[in-house]
Amino acid sequence: MSTHTLSLLEAVREGLAEEMERDPRVVLLGEDIGRLGGVFRATDGLVDRFGVERVIDTPMAENAIAGIAMGLAMRGLRPVAEIQFADFMHAAMDHIVGEAAKLRYRTAGDWTAPMVVRTAYGGGFRGGPYHSQSVEAFYSHVPGLKVMAPSFPDDAKGMLTAAIRDPDPVVFLEHKRTYRAITGPVPDGDHVVADGRLRVARPGDALTIVGWGMMLHEALAAADELAGDGIEAEVLDLRWLLPIDREGLLESLGRTGRLLVVHEDTLTMGLGAELCALAAEAGVLQAPPARVAMPDAGGIPVADAMEDAMLPNRHQVVEAARRLVSSPGNGEVRPGGPGRGSWFDAAIPEASSVIEVRLPEIHLELVMAAVAEACRAVPQSNATFTWEAIRLHDQLSVDLDLGPLSPARGGGTFTLVDYGLGGSLLGLPAVRPGQTAALRVGAVRDGRAYVALAVDHRAVDGADAGRFLATLKRCLEE
Amino acid sequence: MLDLDRAYQVMSTARHMDERMWRLARSGRAHFAVPCSGHEAVGAGYGLALHPGHDYVAPHYRDLAAMLAIGLTPREVFLHFFARRDDPCAHGRQPYAHWGSRAHGVVSLQGPQPNHVTHGVGVAWGSKLLGTDQVTWIGFGDGGAQKGEVHEAMNIAAIHKLPCVFCVENNFYTQSVPSRLESARPEIAARAAGYGIPGEAVDGMDVKAMFDAATRAVERARAGEGPTFLEARCYRYLPNTSNDDDTRYRSRNEVEEARSRDPLLLLRQELDAARADAIDEEAMTVAAEAAEWAEAQPEGDPEEILEHTYALTS
Repeated sequence: MSTHTLSLLEAVREGLAEEMERDPRVVLLGEDIGRLGGVFRATDGLVDRFGVERVIDTPMAENAIAGIAMGLAMRGLRPVAEIQFADFMHAAMDHIVGEAAKLRYRTAGDWTAPMVVRTAYGGGFRGGPYHSQSVEAFYSHVPGLKVMAPSFPDDAKGMLTAAIRDPDPVVFLEHKRTYRAITGPVPDGDHVVADGRLRVARPGDALTIVGWGMMLHEALAAADELAGDGIEAEVLDLRWLLPIDREGLLESLGRTGRLLVVHEDTLTMGLGAELCALAAEAGVLQAPPARVAMPDAGGIPVADAMEDAMLPNRHQVVEAARRLVSSPGNGEVRPGGPGRGSWFDAAIPEASSVIEVRLPEIHLELVMAAVAEACRAVPQSNATFTWEAIRLHDQLSVDLDLGPLSPARGGGTFTLVDYGLGGSLLGLPAVRPGQTAALRVGAVRDGRAYVALAVDHRAVDGADAGRFLATLKRCLEE
Repeated sequence: MLDLDRAYQVMSTARHMDERMWRLARSGRAHFAVPCSGHEAVGAGYGLALHPGHDYVAPHYRDLAAMLAIGLTPREVFLHFFARRDDPCAHGRQPYAHWGSRAHGVVSLQGPQPNHVTHGVGVAWGSKLLGTDQVTWIGFGDGGAQKGEVHEAMNIAAIHKLPCVFCVENNFYTQSVPSRLESARPEIAARAAGYGIPGEAVDGMDVKAMFDAATRAVERARAGEGPTFLEARCYRYLPNTSNDDDTRYRSRNEVEEARSRDPLLLLRQELDAARADAIDEEAMTVAAEAAEWAEAQPEGDPEEILEHTYALTS
């Protein structure tokens, strides 16, 4: 595939020009986009090529730019509105959030708004509080919108082309520091990136760092530095901020188990919160997730030292990554010591089986003996799981959990839970870290009780659990 | 020329539907009524001045008469009123009087007023760019007229001579707030001068005057001469919506006085009395039949609540 080299800004311009060439319905509107070519020059030269009817200089009226773009889209055109600075887009929010995003839904598809709102966001060039903001969290909270944020020139062109062809409204975020700082190869010819997937900007296995825009490039610089210490970070370029590529994120976290999100937007209710929640809910994290973000300050100051101190940078990413990879992590095997009796590991993939047995009310010694017999029959139920090997224990040491007043003391190799006559008829025990199985005996009623076995499915499979319970039942009832 | 019988039929049907809706909402059989009584001459006047199915309308929410004039049927309107599954305007997703129908050229109306004014300008601009002669009628209230939304939209439409008509339906209240607290200068049409476009105040109770003014404005827009700003002065006889209590902010005397210039009474004076009676009787039957029929139609389906957020799930 032959390519040519462009800055991100040139890639945006090329995408606009080629799409206008291809599709006469595409019109641009915004402030200073005509003769001036846009304050960043994204539309430089386009008015000469396509005329004032298709490259429209509007009055300073962001609300109208967005609302008129929606009307044009409803009428069958493909408008691309430019909001000069993301900071000014708040004035257009009613038409983006309240109108365009809801139009398809509120008319059950009768009316739609295939439009793009492009804007320049982000700090780092001494713009002060009103020329530096990141706005992705506002728009990524809105079903009905798509939010795209390219970090490389090829994506800037390919994703913008996809945005213009998209049947739904798209907010297209261009980090203004990437405009000229980031150059790269762009495929020749028609180039469309419409897959909605994140991109692995750098493969690794120690942790997953997610970013977009300029922060993606800070994350890549941090990853270089971490590699010097032998830490191979996987860096994900999120690209689609809404809808999020959940599958791509979880695929990476399934390998690394550690998540660090980096964004220039402020911390609280930022996109990092959603990504961390998504990972936590999926149960793929081996350590608590981490975020590097702008602090919750009232704005981005203009003074050099103040702005530099405000915006996140590669050094903070390196530091956070080091902390994250050195944190012990839930998934690591820590055989329980004293006081660890109530410690749980949500990452253990558990499976449970239940049988009913004949059992006298006084039965603890009987059950202990039966457990010992069953563990001999199925040795992997008295074991410790590690990713390297399943370590079988020579000795059986049962942790006894007899209720809140007499909990398990920890340090054992197998857990037995029995709350006696006051306990519930049926309860499922939890497998404790460092162990592979736990048994819970329910309250005896009419000489019978339910017995539940929980196992770490990585060490003990269903057939093993069945054999364990069959042995147990035979011992108890003989 | 305005067909007076047709105008009276539209207005009488709207009035009978309106009164029935009010009673249905007040008796708990529907969510929400948005009265049009007192605005019928405005709606019928402009609705009959447009080319149905060709021109576009970004209507005011009190424009039931216009919707009937351009082709929505009473049954369709009542499906919308009852939020039934086959509601053509919003499919059970928006309350009554949030008009919309691509087939009839009715631009979907939203809740926050008057955002559709800007959408209407975009639609008009689209028609101009596509080189058609379609006109977009943009209606809104005197309340909406006070928002910056209208200024931005009207300014841009004037700059580019877009094929649209702005019509403020001035009933002198933003729900409860009277015009003296809306604007220091109550003649809203006077603002047209600030945009360099023609402005005209019209007796919105007189359907002939309304039709004539609308026809002039539509023809001007169709000829590529740009927008006109009409101010149709009218009065709302019922409360703002079925959730409003207008006794808290206006006297019964004031309402009764306005009733003496009821647009239906004014038009009746021009018609043969027997003919007008026959039209009224038919309108009452049509309204009753449509309401009864629509109420019996299936409700919106909860299985469909996740559909139509994005194209893929449509």
